[in-house]
Amino acid sequence: MKSLRQKLGRESVAGVLFTLPFTVGFLLFMIVPMGISLYYSFCDYNILSPPVFTGMKNFITMFKDATFFKALRVTFFFAFVSVPLKLVFALIVAMLLLENSRMSGFYRAAYYLPSIIGGSVAVSILWKRMFAMDGVINKLLGAIGIQTSFSWLGSTKTAIWVLILLVVWQFGSSMLIFLSSLKQVPQSLYEAAEVDGASGPAKFFRITLPLLTPTIFFNLVMQTINGFLAFTQCYIITQGKPMDSTLLYTVYMYQQSFEFHNTGYGAALAWMMLAVIGLITLFLFATKKFWVYDGGL
Amino acid sequence: MKKPIALLLAAAMTAGLSACGGSSEPAGTQAPASSAAGGETKEAQAPAAEGETQASQTPGEGAELVVAWWGNQVRNERTQAALDLYSEQNPGVTFDGQFSEWADYWNKLATAAAGHSMPDIIQQDYKYIQQYVSNDLLVDLTPYIEDGTIDVSNCNEDILNSGRIGDGIYAICNGINTPALLYNKTALDAAGITVKDNMTLDEFVALSKEIQEKTGYKTNLAYGNNEILAEYLLRADDIVMFEEDKLGGTAEDYVAYMKLYEDGIKEGWVIDAAVFAETTIGSVEQNPLVYGTSPETMSWCMCAYTNQLTAFRNAAPEGVEIGMTTWPSKDPAKSDYLKPSQFFSITKDSANPDEAAKVLNFITNSVDCNNILLGERGIPLSSAVAEAIAPNMDETSQEVIKFINEVVSPNSSQINPPAPDSASEVNNLINKLEEQVCYGQMSAEEAGKQLFEEGNAIMGSK
Amino acid sequence: MREKRMVKKVIYHIIVFLIGIIMIYPLIWMVMSSFKEKSTIFTTAGSLIPEKFIFDNYVTGWKGFAKVSFATFFQNSLFIAVVATVGTVASSALVAYGFARFKFKGRNILFAAMLLSMMLPAQVLMIPQYLWYQKLGWVGSYIPLTVPYFFAIQGFFVYLISNFIEGIPAELDEAAKIDGCSYMGIFSRIMLPLIKPALVTACIFSFMWRWDDFLSALLYVSKSSMYPVSLALKLFCDPGSSSDYGAMFAMATLSIMPSVLIFLFFQKYLVEGISTSGLKG
Repeated sequence: MKSLRQKLGRESVAGVLFTLPFTVGFLLFMIVPMGISLYYSFCDYNILSPPVFTGMKNFITMFKDATFFKALRVTFFFAFVSVPLKLVFALIVAMLLLENSRMSGFYRAAYYLPSIIGGSVAVSILWKRMFAMDGVINKLLGAIGIQTSFSWLGSTKTAIWVLILLVVWQFGSSMLIFLSSLKQVPQSLYEAAEVDGASGPAKFFRITLPLLTPTIFFNLVMQTINGFLAFTQCYIITQGKPMDSTLLYTVYMYQQSFEFHNTGYGAALAWMMLAVIGLITLFLFATKKFWVYDGGL
Repeated sequence: MKKPIALLLAAAMTAGLSACGGSSEPAGTQAPASSAAGGETKEAQAPAAEGETQASQTPGEGAELVVAWWGNQVRNERTQAALDLYSEQNPGVTFDGQFSEWADYWNKLATAAAGHSMPDIIQQDYKYIQQYVSNDLLVDLTPYIEDGTIDVSNCNEDILNSGRIGDGIYAICNGINTPALLYNKTALDAAGITVKDNMTLDEFVALSKEIQEKTGYKTNLAYGNNEILAEYLLRADDIVMFEEDKLGGTAEDYVAYMKLYEDGIKEGWVIDAAVFAETTIGSVEQNPLVYGTSPETMSWCMCAYTNQLTAFRNAAPEGVEIGMTTWPSKDPAKSDYLKPSQFFSITKDSANPDEAAKVLNFITNSVDCNNILLGERGIPLSSAVAEAIAPNMDETSQEVIKFINEVVSPNSSQINPPAPDSASEVNNLINKLEEQVCYGQMSAEEAGKQLFEEGNAIMGSK
Repeated sequence: MREKRMVKKVIYHIIVFLIGIIMIYPLIWMVMSSFKEKSTIFTTAGSLIPEKFIFDNYVTGWKGFAKVSFATFFQNSLFIAVVATVGTVASSALVAYGFARFKFKGRNILFAAMLLSMMLPAQVLMIPQYLWYQKLGWVGSYIPLTVPYFFAIQGFFVYLISNFIEGIPAELDEAAKIDGCSYMGIFSRIMLPLIKPALVTACIFSFMWRWDDFLSALLYVSKSSMYPVSLALKLFCDPGSSSDYGAMFAMATLSIMPSVLIFLFFQKYLVEGISTSGLKG
């Protein structure tokens, strides 16, 4: 009995045991579906009839598919612009809302609410109305002297920015994560710095920011994955219009899988995206040791 | 710390308990039902083996049929009520009505088809019927029609045949429809312009220009839905757009279609494509016929179908009357057609096709049933039923019946055979190319040729 | 000095308040629209205040579909979201502790598997997952919507919590270990109180995501009496035919309330500093 306890007490065994739920869950619920979809990516499959193995055909098709490259470009642009913007906003607002005042509950709720209503139909309608030729945005521009009936969603140059604005507006979840870790920074460090006469900005750059880097890293990785997999914003608002200038990769994948019934090709697109995100994530992890604060406090 | 977790747990338990009253029972009974329909038949996909699953349930006694459809609140309400009526008249038969939104419906159905666990009776569309039949997912209804289980003696032969693929009839139409050009009658009346039925395309273009000059309203040809108009126009030249594995006609025919847009944009009577980027394509309420702040961003007309008249009238702003006429074509008698607005089909996964066939007969021929449905899906297939329920239908529906009987029926031809699976990809291509033409990125010449070439490649590859 | 502080405070509140209003403008718009006559929702989209406040949309919306009212849909959603959230947060905390504090064979592979599983779009797993759950005999029940969450399958939460644990000084658990505390003891008596903000964050997210999730409900729930709110909301719209945006906005307004309430209830725990009161063991 005692030996069993000792065994359980060993670090390596304990680690395996604590992570066991995930191991079991992964094997039970994820590995099979992922395996099937990987198999589909090598098949001709239209959902309704059984898949037929075709080897690398889907991946070869991909390299001749202009829309694939277009969607990839749009998605890269979308992710690389929206993710940093979103994180910067989230961090600034989290700093602003850190202070406890009578209003802070209301403020936090207000800034978080856009994330709650997320991808609802109401948002899609309103967002389109706001940026319409006769919408609020143009009216505001008119009020400051710029008379215009520019169609923000109708132009290939600006439509993607409307989507970017929508994701940035929903920075609430990153903000919450920043909020919860900001409070993890020990007050004693600030007190010590104040004794040394450090200014506000100095305290931020020398204490807060470094200690926050693990959380920034976490948010960066998660938001990058989310950014590349963004679907709802495009699906409910632009559907890729105008002229595929806002066609996000997952929406293209969805069209191929469920609208054109090239489901095998859709699966191949998904696995290609997994490779892309995987590489980017790997790259992010490789940079980790250069800028992410590591170690106990 | 322990407080929130404990609270959550408590909440979970009360929610669990309260939900158990309502939902644990279906959860329990559903699992075996779905495994009977799906899991067991998985190996027994071959039609021959299906007899066994049928035998395990005696039709008429304790049969539960799953019926699936897409639609809105009104349709969900009425269809469920009609099914309840059937249960009342046939004790022992119960229904599980599953309704979803259009796009969700097809995703769910396709997924269920992959798992061989489709509902017994499904609502089917002309767009998708070909692929469900060619993948052997639907039951041939011919035997049921021959033995009288489904009585079709009062049904329009052409419409009944729209459910025919090869030698079998795989779907029974549940509402008749025809193309209808809906227009803003109020705006046209104010400008003293009248619209006549069976306009030619040239007349239509001239009219569009006149309307644009007099009222400012522009014209929406068929943005985002070009395949239906292109197909309609090609019919005038005896061209079937979607043949089995190629596009009908020649590249020139498609160039001519794209030319409509090119000229329209140049001459200023076709609506700016940017308008559609600001609305939801397919939503009646946001269609430029009824929605917009100035004539410049609105259309005076819309190529729709008769069963959409009610929806457009409901969506029109107060004081705007919506009129109805035929789509333009140089030869309306060849172009125009009667169309099944939708069908009902029985799936091969059904454990009880015999009972399901009786339900289809009920929907097709029961006056009581159709007094509940009231032609919400389109005019009933059976002329006897249509006549019987006509007095109970609202004015708009009566107008539609009149339009179909007096304007379209005498001056139309049989609908094109259902398009193959690859058509959906071609449709996307047409709409993308049309967008390019509207944005001036491509000439009609280029777009038409590219459509013909790439379209043929797509259709040939499947 | 005091005056300057006061001015600063006022400016702070004005700015934060104004931006806050912009942030929730869409919500206000939705709520206001739900009180408009349904025929005027689009025509008056530019103005916020309804010409006439009416409650019809709530009445027709609440009625639901084919005799199943929104009371049922809400009950279903609440059940799914609460059960899945409890499962996710509890299992993720355990797994996160394992990842954050122990070195063991296969740790990196497991961690990579977790990240990889987040990189496939949900849509592509739809059909394979359906086929698999069908094999398990789970289709048509709530099992696929709840049970898997008890196995920490959402890597996001595991990573979130383990990241938080890594920020906690290891000396704390070392000390407890020397005192003879088992790992489970350290986890429940020392870790859990310390990671409260992370757990609260996880609860808020998980509840909201499960509440909004409609894809799995669409596939795995069959009876209309088992539909959750997320699925029911979509039934008001029918492209090609009439859609009832009024009723949809009314029910959408009600639908976000649980998530808002959860947030308001939990948010104060978010920013609580590390309290030593939990360190009794």
